[in-house]
Amino acid sequence: MGSVLAASSPSPPPPASSGAASPGLTMPPGFGMPPVSPVIPPTGVHSGQQQDAENPLPNPGAFDECHRKCKEVFPMQMEGVRLVVNKGLSNHFQVNHTMLLSTMGDSSYRFGATYVGSKQTSPAEFFPVMVGDMDSSGSLNAQIIHQITNRIRSKVAFQTQQQKFVNWQMDADFKGEDFTATITLGNPDVLIGSGIVVTHYLQSITPALALGGELVYHRRPGEEGAVMSLVGRYTGSNYIATLTLGSAGAHASYYHKANDQLQVGVELEASTRMQDTSVSFGYQLDVPKANLQFKGSLDSNWVVGATLEKKLLPLPLSLVLCAFLNHRKSKFQCGFGVTIG
Amino acid sequence: MSIHAHSLSVYVAVNAGSNGKKGSSSGVMNWISSACRFATDRNDFRRNLLVNLGLFAAGVWVARNLSDFDLSPQPVT
Repeated sequence: MGSVLAASSPSPPPPASSGAASPGLTMPPGFGMPPVSPVIPPTGVHSGQQQDAENPLPNPGAFDECHRKCKEVFPMQMEGVRLVVNKGLSNHFQVNHTMLLSTMGDSSYRFGATYVGSKQTSPAEFFPVMVGDMDSSGSLNAQIIHQITNRIRSKVAFQTQQQKFVNWQMDADFKGEDFTATITLGNPDVLIGSGIVVTHYLQSITPALALGGELVYHRRPGEEGAVMSLVGRYTGSNYIATLTLGSAGAHASYYHKANDQLQVGVELEASTRMQDTSVSFGYQLDVPKANLQFKGSLDSNWVVGATLEKKLLPLPLSLVLCAFLNHRKSKFQCGFGVTIG
Repeated sequence: MSIHAHSLSVYVAVNAGSNGKKGSSSGVMNWISSACRFATDRNDFRRNLLVNLGLFAAGVWVARNLSDFDLSPQPVT
């Protein structure tokens, strides 16, 4: 049964990895929209044109996935010591314990649980998916994802700070033949008359080119506003170039898969509101024979960082080492993590 | 008197021409100095954006042209 995947810890690479996981959570497959197929097999021009005439345009994937491939190349900053223990209790249910010992912030313990249902929509996706975790002070993060129909997927997420609800949002994705549309409702409060509505639309123009837009409308008593941004993504044989332009700024990313072992990403972010720009260069090195993955990055703020992840097979252990050095501010941060199960 | 007036007029004409050349060269120097100030002003948003655009283009060039090395070469038989 494919639901065994829910009981075991996700083995890399997760086949349907998606939206950001809360700290300490291991995201089961199917948690989010299916990934964008980044690599188009190289075909001749004429055969490509014949294929265009015969095959319809592909679905472009989710709007949030546009910059994901490039973002995943960069190392994730970690500080302190982190211990994660995953335990599958059944084919549908898994629990995890996360202990974080920090020198800069507060140390914490989080207990998480994941439930994966039995409605199978694809070999690696089961619904509904319910993920939640709570820390020692009672703060809760919870998400529920369910595939309502073949084309509509919904998600509800909550976040509390002890007993008070801080964030609550619900969204619905519609996956068409050659487009994806999403609507998200954030922190709606009917009594006060406040909330945030976010709509995304992404359309395949050609098999390689997808264009789309995002509209964010926010409302509070006495104040309301809207922000719009446009996105374009071009997918080549071994690269993806994405550009997002809006009134708040611009975000450009370039992802390049050099070979099976080396992936490179370059990112440019410019914020007109903060009057700040930055460029980051990152790479990911995979050595499957050594069960090792190395990520490194360098950016225009003189921050150099790296993470090393190694699986200590045959033990169900994974070791993560992380170091970040900010040359401009002369600050150094390192982290160490162990994942069991 | 007329000779002095003539020489004076010639003197004024020569100085006017040299003042024009000095004016254009000082304009060029002003432009160069303002360009140098723009290039070295780290607090200028447009300058930072241009520099980072160049760095982004350089990063893309490096990714496309310098990353195709084989990390696990097979021995040549």
